[in-house]
Amino acid sequence: MSGPWPAATQLAVSTLQVGGVLVGGPLLLGLTRKVKARLEGRTGPPVRQPWRDLRKLAGRERTRPEQASWIFPLAPLVLVATALVVAAGAPLVAVNPAFGTSADLFAVVYLLLLGSVALALAGLDTGTAFGGMGASRALTIGAVAEPALLVAVLALSIPARSSNLPAIVSSSLAHPIWLASPQRLLALGAFLIVVLAENGRLPVDNPGTHLELTMIHEAMVLEYAGPDLALVTLGESARLVVLLGLLANLFAPWGIATRPGAATLAVGAVTVVAKVGALGVGLAVFEVFMAKLRLFRVPELLSGAFVLAVLAVVVALVVP
Amino acid sequence: MRAGSYDSVLALAVGAVLVCAVAALWLSSVRGVVRVLAAQGLALGLVALLLGLHVHDTALVATAGVVVGLKAVVIPTLLRRVAGETHSRETRPLVNVPASLVAAAALSLLAFSTTRDVVRLVPTGAGKLVPVGFATLLLGFFVLVARRKPVFQMVGLLLVDNAVALIAFLITAGVPFLIELGVSLDVLLGVVVLMVLASRLRADYGEVDLDALQELRD
Amino acid sequence: MVLVALLLVPVIGGAVIGLGRWRPVVAWTAVGLNGVGLAGAVALAVRVVSSGPVDGAGGLLRADPLSAFMTVVIGAVALLSSWVGVRWNTEELARGRTTAGRATGYGILVQAFIATMLLAVLAANVGILWVGVEATTIVTTFLVGHRRTRGALEASWKYIMICSVGIALAFLGTVLVYLAAVHAGVPGGHALDWRALVAAAPRMDHGVVRLGFALIVLGYGTKVGLAPSHSWLPDAHSQAPAPVSALMSGVLLTVAFTAILRFKTVADAALGPAFPRALLVTMALLSLAVASSLLITQRDYKRMLAYSSIEHMGLLALGAAAGIPLAIAAVLLHILGHGLTKSVLFLSSGEILAVEGTSEIAGVRALLARRPALGGIFGVGLLALVGLPPFSLFTSELLMARAEFQVGLGWAAALAVGAMVVVFVAVAGHGRRMLLGVPDNPGAGPDGSTGEGTRLPVSATAPLVGGLVACAAIGVLAWPLAPLLRAAARVVSP
Repeated sequence: MSGPWPAATQLAVSTLQVGGVLVGGPLLLGLTRKVKARLEGRTGPPVRQPWRDLRKLAGRERTRPEQASWIFPLAPLVLVATALVVAAGAPLVAVNPAFGTSADLFAVVYLLLLGSVALALAGLDTGTAFGGMGASRALTIGAVAEPALLVAVLALSIPARSSNLPAIVSSSLAHPIWLASPQRLLALGAFLIVVLAENGRLPVDNPGTHLELTMIHEAMVLEYAGPDLALVTLGESARLVVLLGLLANLFAPWGIATRPGAATLAVGAVTVVAKVGALGVGLAVFEVFMAKLRLFRVPELLSGAFVLAVLAVVVALVVP
Repeated sequence: MRAGSYDSVLALAVGAVLVCAVAALWLSSVRGVVRVLAAQGLALGLVALLLGLHVHDTALVATAGVVVGLKAVVIPTLLRRVAGETHSRETRPLVNVPASLVAAAALSLLAFSTTRDVVRLVPTGAGKLVPVGFATLLLGFFVLVARRKPVFQMVGLLLVDNAVALIAFLITAGVPFLIELGVSLDVLLGVVVLMVLASRLRADYGEVDLDALQELRD
Repeated sequence: MVLVALLLVPVIGGAVIGLGRWRPVVAWTAVGLNGVGLAGAVALAVRVVSSGPVDGAGGLLRADPLSAFMTVVIGAVALLSSWVGVRWNTEELARGRTTAGRATGYGILVQAFIATMLLAVLAANVGILWVGVEATTIVTTFLVGHRRTRGALEASWKYIMICSVGIALAFLGTVLVYLAAVHAGVPGGHALDWRALVAAAPRMDHGVVRLGFALIVLGYGTKVGLAPSHSWLPDAHSQAPAPVSALMSGVLLTVAFTAILRFKTVADAALGPAFPRALLVTMALLSLAVASSLLITQRDYKRMLAYSSIEHMGLLALGAAAGIPLAIAAVLLHILGHGLTKSVLFLSSGEILAVEGTSEIAGVRALLARRPALGGIFGVGLLALVGLPPFSLFTSELLMARAEFQVGLGWAAALAVGAMVVVFVAVAGHGRRMLLGVPDNPGAGPDGSTGEGTRLPVSATAPLVGGLVACAAIGVLAWPLAPLLRAAARVVSP
């Protein structure tokens, strides 16, 4: 660990991260859509198009299903809030943001899970067929994906002897050889699959679908409109950025700011933006070439991720 | 080679052998499984090569060559020929894929817990990887009992065989060369026997499904 | 040199058949060579008893009393089997069920099978032992599938799949024992030598030897046909040609069993008797339970014989678990008695199958009245098999039970006796249905041929009667064998 960080710097880092995630989320969505469109031979909407959509949605009147209870309006707020809390504490720009000591990997996983559960509850709360169907499918996927994520996290925390995110990142910086170790690669495989599943991307779910019967995530949020829908989209995109950023920094931490200072922070910010952007482009390319799996084969994929994670733990226990 | 990078490359190669075993459990197309088997043979050869270079044992390096030739080239080619041109898949495994993957996770933990004594006894760093070899062994067993099609059962058998070879390499850095050669030859012969049987079955009774082979029972 | 020569005899036999193709004169030459092999084995045994172990092939082969004894068993059963094999092949050719080319292949494979078994028992090195056992598996797979019927192919598929796994486990166990030996200070070049292993055993690491021995018992136990991995055995033994069944059931099982005995010596010295004993008793009782319960409902007489083999392997494992010299001597005597009896039974069951056209118990009636010689041999064989005096199986079972009571395994011996009673009732019942009774249509079999027309020639009955007489003689006298058995028992249980 480098020297002590001034509290003000830490706060600045956290603010920067929260702001970056909020602003960057919709831009990342725009970027992936643009890349996909280009690969498919279309011009596609501009990268800032999601922001325009959000602004338009925010200006609309609030409409809510009649049967919906207080859970329905609350869920988008929970989703956004959890993503931002994680963004504040996670080592994205620098290893040591404010609340970094409480940024435990397990806490992060459960915070993100909280957002998903809130959305699923809201889907059920609408009382419509599609909402319920989407919620049940999303929870089925989550029920397999979450254990895989937790076990993968466990595998990462064994060599660092800590499940604290900043500690994991700084110890992998100190031992670059770990990054090529089999347990890391196995955990990476599991992590990638889970990120795809959790964010409703191909091959688990198709984010661009208009067929209600094949929807998972879109069906769940079908009843949202106006400002509520804007919040859901914002929360979802923030979550994607946070997960991709974590993925990047857990498995390839180079460039992250390890000591306070404007220059290092700037480098850290630029590299994390570059990494997330590259991952977003990779995601888009992957989705262009990938077909959606049939729903009943999704558990196969996710249980595969689970096995990879367990193997990562076994290997991590074996190879000190 | 520096000690640190030697250890980590070795660990990577051993890990690749294990991942191939998981993939064999995961995939349901004959073609994919055979490809995975070939990849595993390659990884196994790499393990032998690394160990041989590390202890300066020419016999072991030569073994690595034999292993790659046999397990990554000859046997997969033969298997492909047995499987024929049909794009056959395992459609009705005895244990479905998610359940078998979860079982695989449990088996890996079992392998880890039963091999502590062995790890303690092997002086080299390679010995620490022995549990991974045992995990591969158990996964191979699982493929053998959970799949119906003869080709998949042969793959399971070959996975068991690769795992045994891996463990032998890791524990002993090469059992005496003579024995090793005998082992490899026997494996080749065994596969040839299996092939002949499978092709006879296919020639005489069409597409082989062991489900149909259940005349002999009490 | 002697040992290599002994190994070469069946190899020459195979070469003779290969060069001369299948003709009666060639086949009888091979039988003669097997007779020479038996004589050589007896000579070797005499020499080993009088002047100690013989080494050969630069230390890779060794004949101690145990190997010498096993070569005698192999030699005896091989002679019986290849003798009757000539007749079996001639019949098959006459019925158009095989071709001269396939008969040639059969002859070569049988000789190769005998050679690989000899290699396994004469190996001084547990690695060579493993190679020998593996080679027997490969050769016999072709023999099991020789008839090319659907059942035969299914049986050979199961056989090679299950046994290959067993063999892989045995190899792993061998590697672990090697590791323990190297760790105990044996130089790497000698760490697979059985004598070096026994000498170093007290210094070996317990955990690794325990794991290794468990893998070896499971692995070679598959080849022995011990439960829980016995399921290939009834299929393979019932589908193989009768002379091959005789070899497989009569000696191959016990060749694999001697591999377990050899490692048991190492494990006993390393761990003390408790762990090997517990393992063997468990597998023995399991095998006895499986065999006795499935024997009751058998409808096929070849499968009945196969299950009886599982039962006898269970008895052997129980005897080995007792482990004192008396028990081991009894185990070895049982190996010989079972080898002779079971091969005679399988060979005569092949005759029954040939003349009756069915292997169903229900399809064979009043055999004793219609074909007295064949029925008589089969009946006497069954009596020997269930352990009636004067046959040697009675003696060896009695001695094993006594040894088991001596070491405090009386409860297991009592359970075994219970299983044997069940087996007795089942086998006697099946045998009574096949042998006794009045023929429905006197003088004619189901295939329309008359019993008189297919009377067995002396050349066919001689080996069968000879085998049974030998078994009875050993049971009554045990005399020519006593010193060899005592010496062999001391090898396993020093």
